[in-house]
Amino acid sequence: MTEVLAQHDVLTISGLSKSFHGRLVLDDVSLAVRQATITAIIGSSGGGKTTLLRCLNLLERPDSGTIAVDGAPIFADGAVCTDLPKLRRSVGMVFQRFNLFPHLTAIENVMLAPLDAGVPEQEALERAVTLLRRVRLAHRATAYPEQMSGGEQQRVAIARALALRPSVLLFDEPTSSLDPESTGEVLLVMRELAATGITMVLVTHELAFAREVADHVVFVDAGKITEEGAPAQVLTNPRSPRTREFLTHFTREGGS
Amino acid sequence: MFEVPWSEYSTDLWEGLLKTVSYTVAGFAGAALLGLAVALLRLSTLKALRIPALIYTELFKNVPLLAVIFLTYFGLGSVGLKLDAFQAGTLSLVLFYAAYLSEIFRSAINGVHNGQQEAASALGLGKLSTFRKVVFPQAMRLALPGTNTMLVDLLKSTSLLVTISAAELMSQGRLITSATFRALEVYLVIAAIYFVLCYPLSQGLLWLERRIHAGVPLSPTRRRRLRAARELLEVPA
Repeated sequence: MTEVLAQHDVLTISGLSKSFHGRLVLDDVSLAVRQATITAIIGSSGGGKTTLLRCLNLLERPDSGTIAVDGAPIFADGAVCTDLPKLRRSVGMVFQRFNLFPHLTAIENVMLAPLDAGVPEQEALERAVTLLRRVRLAHRATAYPEQMSGGEQQRVAIARALALRPSVLLFDEPTSSLDPESTGEVLLVMRELAATGITMVLVTHELAFAREVADHVVFVDAGKITEEGAPAQVLTNPRSPRTREFLTHFTREGGS
Repeated sequence: MFEVPWSEYSTDLWEGLLKTVSYTVAGFAGAALLGLAVALLRLSTLKALRIPALIYTELFKNVPLLAVIFLTYFGLGSVGLKLDAFQAGTLSLVLFYAAYLSEIFRSAINGVHNGQQEAASALGLGKLSTFRKVVFPQAMRLALPGTNTMLVDLLKSTSLLVTISAAELMSQGRLITSATFRALEVYLVIAAIYFVLCYPLSQGLLWLERRIHAGVPLSPTRRRRLRAARELLEVPA
C-alpha cells in the first residue's frame, strides 16, 4: 500500500457541482484518484454516482469546480479547457449498456478508435487481436454484437476502451444489465485488468467485487461523498450512519 | 393483335429506355445528395437552418410532381430561364424526391441510438468521424427500405416527363402510337418494359438489404480488414 500511496494522482476533482433542471446532483464533490489504484463508487441509485463518473471524461459538463487529469486541468471555471478527443483517448469508458457499434464486428469495434486516431492499420489490427485474446474473445472476433451474449458484448466493450491505451478506465455499472453468469465473466476480466496496474474508477452495485479488488471505496449519497476510505473500513465498519443504512439494505436484499 | 412493325421502332424504344435510365440515375443521385443535405439541415440546432429546410420539404411533399415539371419547364422558360427537357426533367425529379428522401434520412439518423454517439465521443472521435463512421452507416441501414421504394417510384415517375416530350420510354410510346394508331398494343409493350426494369431493380435492392442485414461487408476496406483479422487470428498467441 505504501508503494501505491507514493504514486501521483491521475485524477483530481475539487469542488465539483452539477445540477439538472434545478436539482443539485453533485454538490461540491472533491476526490483524488491515485495512479494504479481501483476506486469503487457506491451508493443508491439517483445519488449522483454515474453523473460523477461521466464528469470525469466530460460526457457531462459540471457547472463548477475543477478536474485535472495527470496534473493538467481539463475543466476549470465552468469551462472545458482541453481538447476533448485528446482527453477521451486517455480516459476510456465502459458503459452499462455496452453501446457497441452494431454495424461492425467485434474486432472492428476495437479497431475503430485507434484507426481514427491515426494508428496504422496493421498495428491497430494486432492490438485488437491482443486485446480480444486478453478478454478471451478471439474466437468471436468477426461476430457482430447482436450475435453475442451480454457478457461477451461487455468484454468487447472493455477491449474497445483499452485500445487507445488510456491512463484511466471508467466503468459505469458494467454488470448491471447482465445475468449472473455473464456478470461472472465480466468481473473475471476486470479482476485480471486490475492486476495489471491500470487505474480504474468504477460505479458498481457489486459490493463483494468492490471489497475484493478496490483500493479505495467512495460512498456517494445525495450528490455528496458521505464517506471514503479503504474497502474494509467503508464496507465493514462504516462511520457514517447513511453508509451503514445503505449497506444494511444491501445485505437484506441479498445484493451482496 | 400484334400489328405494329416493332423492328422499325426498336431503335426508338432502345433510345427511350436509355433516356429513362439516365433520368432515373441523374434524378436519384441528385435527390439523394440534396435529400441528405436537407435532412442534416433539419437536424441542425440552428433554427435559421432548420426552418428553410422544413419549408422546402413540406412544399415539395404537398405539390404534385407534374406541377413541378410544368413549373421548371414552362414556368421558368416563360421568365427567360430556358431549360431543355432533360435539365428541367432531372431538376424536377431531384427537387421532388429530395423532399421525400430527406424525411426518410432524417428519421433514420434520429433512429440511431443516442448511446452510439456517446460511445463514439467517449472513444475520442470528433463530430465528423462520429457521423461518418458511426451514425451514417447505421442510418443508411435504417433508411434502405424506404430509399429503395423511392428509387423504384422515381423510375416509374419518369413517365410523367412525357408531358414535356422528354424522349424517354413513354414519349417514344406516344410517338409510336400516333404513327400506328395501335394504342393498346403499344402501351402494353411500354408497360411491359417498365415492369422488366422495375421488378429486377426492386428485387435486387431487396437482396442487397438482406445481404447488409446479414452482416456481409460491402466496402472493400472492410472485407480486406476482416480477411487480415482472420489470418492473424489463425496464428496461435
